[in-house]
Amino acid sequence: MVIRKKFSSKYEAGWSDADELLLCLDTGSWRTKRPVVDKEKCNYCGLCALYCPPQCMLNLEDYFAPNLDFCKGCGICAKECSRGAIAMVPEGEFADEGAKR
Amino acid sequence: MKVRKGEIKVITGNAAAAYGAMLCRPDVVASYPVTPQTEVGEQLSRFHADGILDAEMVEVEGESSSMNITAAATLAGGRAFTATSSWGLMFMYDAMLQAAGFRAPVVMANANRETPGILAVSCGQQDMVSTRDSGWVLIVVENCQEILDSVIMAFRLAEDIEIQLPVMVNYDGFYLSYLAEAVEIPAREDVDQFLAPLKLQPERTKLVPERPLGCGTHGILVEFMELRYKHCAALERAKRKLDEIDQEFGEFFGRSYGGQIEEYRTEDAEIVVLASGSAAGTARMVIDTKRAEGLKVGLIKLRVFRPFPRERLTQALKGKKAIGVIDRSVCFGWNCGPIYMELRALSPDIGFVPMMSFIDGLANMDISIPHIERVIDEVYAASQGKSYQEVTWIPLEE
Repeated sequence: MVIRKKFSSKYEAGWSDADELLLCLDTGSWRTKRPVVDKEKCNYCGLCALYCPPQCMLNLEDYFAPNLDFCKGCGICAKECSRGAIAMVPEGEFADEGAKR
Repeated sequence: MKVRKGEIKVITGNAAAAYGAMLCRPDVVASYPVTPQTEVGEQLSRFHADGILDAEMVEVEGESSSMNITAAATLAGGRAFTATSSWGLMFMYDAMLQAAGFRAPVVMANANRETPGILAVSCGQQDMVSTRDSGWVLIVVENCQEILDSVIMAFRLAEDIEIQLPVMVNYDGFYLSYLAEAVEIPAREDVDQFLAPLKLQPERTKLVPERPLGCGTHGILVEFMELRYKHCAALERAKRKLDEIDQEFGEFFGRSYGGQIEEYRTEDAEIVVLASGSAAGTARMVIDTKRAEGLKVGLIKLRVFRPFPRERLTQALKGKKAIGVIDRSVCFGWNCGPIYMELRALSPDIGFVPMMSFIDGLANMDISIPHIERVIDEVYAASQGKSYQEVTWIPLEE
């Protein structure tokens, strides 16, 4: 069999390096609603980060905020936040930001 | 090089599979009992208890676990062995597909048994046929000695850097799994030497804590197609590799099986019977009888079902006047035998001669001498230009 093209992966099987294919899967583009954290209401309890399935809530020292490259917008953080500090805002409202994130 | 003669023991087919695995020094063994394969795991546990098998024996709660554990062990760079049959094979099917997709070089013994539907605790190749499109290498063997030898060869094939594929060694359940016959068991050091070339190859990619890697974590669009492309290419390479390994095995141990197919008296044959598994042994005897009567008939034993030995079969069958295929399973939706269906796909290569499908031996029915005589007689009549029936369910049609 002649290999006609250059492969994107150097591996024979489905391996991926941590800094290449593994982390570049663009799950952020699947999101229809975005969690927006109200810094005033957030008491830094960390429940949202504990419950986040892909563990993408970033610890920003005095509050938490999602990494929008990976957040799929499931809304579990907003549901679990006992202070109601996280609002799920439709992505359409961020359309003027230009980028899909 | 030729090695010293091994020890001859009278053992069952299941024990032969276990001996083959033990001699290859696997790091991990995990198998769940299912009739008629249970004895493989028992025998391996006995080896472990006796201190001659230094493997991690994982007690699993089902076949899905046994496949996932052995596949993971190979991805961590180890050598792993498992065994199953029929319902167990179906229960691990998703894990089998994962193992193939991950290119995990697991070796598995499968004692062929009929598949679920009717509770058929009996021999049939339907379980293997059901895994046709799993991406595994499917080897089919004829007797207890070939089981042992094929397990050893399977490790050489599976772990080869150019192949990296899981390999299943299939043998007829009941007929071979419980049949005790004399088997030559090679010395450990000789098997070590036979497997030594694997150590000279570049190391295959594996999971180690120092270097984090993902496996199967991506794979949409082009990356997925790329993996499928590489997988198909590896299966193509496996064909020639099988022939080479078989030849090398012959030079080492004095036994070889023809690689992808074994040709028996086919050279000057006008008609050919294609069979696989234990039925090939019976067929060989009948061929001799018919030859003595002056009939120019030959036998081809199919030794590998996936990848399908297209080139070797074409070469062996070109110019023959008629071909009969004996299948111990059915091809649903085509109303014929699966090996027959595959052979028909080679018609443009071989030539459009009469090809006939004979379904026999389902659920422990004997593929007997009179049955094979009948196959040869009918194929011969077709080769003489007589009209013929394409598909025959031998025991149902007098």
